[in-house]
Amino acid sequence: MALNPYFLQGSSSEQSLVQDLINEQLTIYGVEVHYLPRQYATTNTIIREVIESKFNNSYPIEAYVENFDGYGDNTVMLSKFGIQSTKELTVTISRERYQNYISPLIKNLPDIDLPNVEIYDRPREGDLVYFPFGDRLFEIKFVEHEKPFYQLKKNYVYTLTCELFRPEDEVIDTGIEDIDDTIDVDFNLRTLTLVAAGSTATAIAGVVTTGGINQFVITDRGERYTAAPNVAISSSPTIGGQAVGIATLLDGIINCDGTEIGSKVQGIYVQNPGLGYLVNPGVVILSSTSDGVGAAATTIISDNVVGVVTITDGGSGYTTAPSVTISGPGIGTTASAIAVVSSAGTISNVYMSYAGAGYTVAPTITIGSPYMAGTGDFIDNETVTGSQSSKTALVKTWNAVTGVLVISNTTGDFIAGENITGEESGAVYQLKGEELDNTVSQYPDNLEIETQADSILDLSEKNPFGTP
Amino acid sequence: MFEYFYHEILRRTIISFGTLFNGIEIQHEDSDDNVVSTIRVPLAYGPTQKFLARLQQSPDLNKPTSVTLPRMSFEFTGLQYDGSRKVTTTQTFKSQTVGIATAIRKTYMPVPYNMSFELSVFTKLNDDMLQIVEQILPYFQPAFNLSVDLVSTIGEKRDIPVIIENITMEDDYEGDFTTRRSLIYTFRFTAKTYLFGPVGDTAAASKDLIRSAKIGYVVGGTTKTPTRDVTYSVVPRATKAYDNDVTTNLSEDMGVEGTLMEVNDSSGIALNSYVIVDSESIYVDKKSGNKLFVKRGQDGTAPTAHVSGAGVNLITATTNSLIEVGDDFGFDGSFL
Repeated sequence: MALNPYFLQGSSSEQSLVQDLINEQLTIYGVEVHYLPRQYATTNTIIREVIESKFNNSYPIEAYVENFDGYGDNTVMLSKFGIQSTKELTVTISRERYQNYISPLIKNLPDIDLPNVEIYDRPREGDLVYFPFGDRLFEIKFVEHEKPFYQLKKNYVYTLTCELFRPEDEVIDTGIEDIDDTIDVDFNLRTLTLVAAGSTATAIAGVVTTGGINQFVITDRGERYTAAPNVAISSSPTIGGQAVGIATLLDGIINCDGTEIGSKVQGIYVQNPGLGYLVNPGVVILSSTSDGVGAAATTIISDNVVGVVTITDGGSGYTTAPSVTISGPGIGTTASAIAVVSSAGTISNVYMSYAGAGYTVAPTITIGSPYMAGTGDFIDNETVTGSQSSKTALVKTWNAVTGVLVISNTTGDFIAGENITGEESGAVYQLKGEELDNTVSQYPDNLEIETQADSILDLSEKNPFGTP
Repeated sequence: MFEYFYHEILRRTIISFGTLFNGIEIQHEDSDDNVVSTIRVPLAYGPTQKFLARLQQSPDLNKPTSVTLPRMSFEFTGLQYDGSRKVTTTQTFKSQTVGIATAIRKTYMPVPYNMSFELSVFTKLNDDMLQIVEQILPYFQPAFNLSVDLVSTIGEKRDIPVIIENITMEDDYEGDFTTRRSLIYTFRFTAKTYLFGPVGDTAAASKDLIRSAKIGYVVGGTTKTPTRDVTYSVVPRATKAYDNDVTTNLSEDMGVEGTLMEVNDSSGIALNSYVIVDSESIYVDKKSGNKLFVKRGQDGTAPTAHVSGAGVNLITATTNSLIEVGDDFGFDGSFL
């Protein structure tokens, strides 16, 4: 029997009717999913791969879920690489809706810093589908376009076979929070501790009127020191008048014969000038290890020198050593000092490089202020830049109260003390410290392995012959 | 079998092996060769409890993505006796007891065993994989030596060569589109470790420390009743102030040279005794009030300058008993 003469078996109006019916069905029975087109940031030639991808846009579209009875059994497994989920999703979307709605949007994507998408008139393998139930991201593995098979000489739907996405360092920044936070739980994160506004430390000091050390003069820097040596000073004739010096080390000085062995003594600071010395006391530099040798120094005493500097308030938020200014004595010479910053960001000590002379009244000590200009709030997924390192990263989370900024996709290490600036928000804070964060996703054990290995491995011993 | 002991040697070797691959990073560059992303490749010991993995890695049941990549895991897969490294089983060795510097412990020679390890790397991109492989392979020629503190109680450090055996590459890129590409490389290694038996207890082994040595000259060797003519006994003398019991303090500075030492109170220092100032050993020759006439730089120590107030430590029998294993010492001798 021949074909039904009352139908044209494939006229455009018949095809449109079928397409309309399908579109209508999908809007009734479908689920609203989001379609995220992949934009290639970097591709590799020869070894043909897309190295860097960005998903900066998402388009809601109605889709019929083929696997309406769920993801199937046993879709979560434990592998040697931790828990893996192999959930698959098959959705059907309207061909016409895709071509009329999503295609033009992809075609006209703003070409800011990414090459434009070449194929846009069909759904593409590698693109993502955000499925709202369960807040999951699926990657399209295959696009079937001929099922059902040419009804009225045309195909009306695409069937997308998808599997849960395996993220690496792809940037997902669609502006829709539900989607953007899907792969927040990731290992590729670092935690920066930022300083918004520190408080200035304060200190006071008295005056030693008779026989205090105001200066140590290094006569020999010695060599081979591995730790700051102790400084022994002759006892004072006055009971309780013992002076205290603090030595610091310096690397990178080369001996006359061209050798450089270990560290040398850079200088000795006056922590306590002592009291009642009648002659310049002797100094012996005692290495705290068996290696350091040869350093020697002499002292100079004076009356009316600045006494022990007492920190009255350690302040907060110091990332680098601030300047220390000691007021002058009027007639005499002005003392100078350095500040020591603790790991907590406070000033732990102030040591004098020169304790001055001619002080009759207690001087005023002014410690430089820490960073106080922190301002603004970082926005998720914006780029932050370090002022000195010029390294960049993307913001994952920002806690304004604790000053903790979690970042991903870093291009290198940031430097403590530099300013971190958000590109879009304009937020600026100073970096106190950076740490690799392995605790976020629970799989990586790098830090724990490293910590434990440090106590059982001796990396100082080397077998000069290499192999056994 | 006979007593409980556990040195955690296998565990220590596993940790030492793991830490080799701890700091591997991969970088992604853009088309202008600028680094756009640095990833420290996560590493973990593969085997774990299933419930623990599930609770830690899917705490809220929902896993929005499959698995984040790249990842590395390592696994201890086998243990084999290595006859080529066998030593005499009756041989023992003594070693300093960690934490007790004046004691030693005794143990029998260890048994050589080869531990097999597998390191698996799972990446998303071939480029990542090549970066990781190139960071690993140059260190193995074909072995990399690790100095591992195998038995902490005796501070026994052994060089453990980790030898790379082979690499299996798995790249499932072919086939229909229902399966995804899976890129997994597996490295197999052998670590040549040693298993130690029980370690002798501290008290018993400390008796083996030499506290004094005696030598006797015997005369009339050919007669039936030889007599011991002279016996000379030596005991070690400390060259460090182990007990740091400051007997008195210097009252004046001392130069590098000079034999006059002035102290605050010389009553505690007998003639012909040795004192330690800073790290110099000094022999007291004569006394005159609080002035001591001394010989400098005894027992191989170097004469150095000392400042007034420096502690003067008298060497006593107690000090001598605290000499640590491996330290230098002088000695006192006497005829018995």
